[in-house]
Amino acid sequence: MSSAWKAAGLTYLQYTQLCAAALRNVVKADVAAAFAKRQTTPIKVAKWENGKTVETHEY
Amino acid sequence: MSMLRSARAFAAIRPTRLLRTYATEAAVPAGSSGKLTFSLALPHDVLVKNETVQQVNLSGSSGDMGVLADHVPTIEQLKPGVIEVIMTNNESKKWFLSGGFAIVNPDSSLNVNAVEAFKLDEISPELVREKTQEAERIISGSGSEEEKVAARVQLEVYEALQAAL
Repeated sequence: MSSAWKAAGLTYLQYTQLCAAALRNVVKADVAAAFAKRQTTPIKVAKWENGKTVETHEY
Repeated sequence: MSMLRSARAFAAIRPTRLLRTYATEAAVPAGSSGKLTFSLALPHDVLVKNETVQQVNLSGSSGDMGVLADHVPTIEQLKPGVIEVIMTNNESKKWFLSGGFAIVNPDSSLNVNAVEAFKLDEISPELVREKTQEAERIISGSGSEEEKVAARVQLEVYEALQAAL
């Protein structure tokens, strides 16, 4: 079975992520607030020099 | 000679089960409980865990399917669409899945994995209409090919949503 998304050169993961994003776009505002937090992945980066952190970044 | 022998050996180990083609011909597996156990899991949540249900209707990528107890084992890719779970008390629960996989096991258990799932009443029809128009605008617009492909995929989701709501 050939799908339109496959023909367009998308991978399955790209395709499912697009579908999931589309679904998240149309959820009612009160429900959307509940899952807004898990959509971001926080990263904390620290640079160490001589046993001390000299720089920290949060993304 | 050796080829002949290996062909015979293959025939000997070939399980007779493989010869059966139609679901109606398949014998009910020994020890069948006649019950369908259903699980619905998302990467971040488990919505249903090993619950005994009567029937599950799925929108598979090769067509809609209904699963009852003792269904033929299958793996089916799901399109964005509604999953309907009919509980043993005839109550039905519906979710809209963004797409995933349904796995029917030989022991009458059905596992469905999806990326995102929402109850139908959690979805705003106004937003669906708005996003449909937005996607259509991108498809007929002068954006890049990637943007158009993404919009076409998303439009499919919105069309399925409009049909479901």
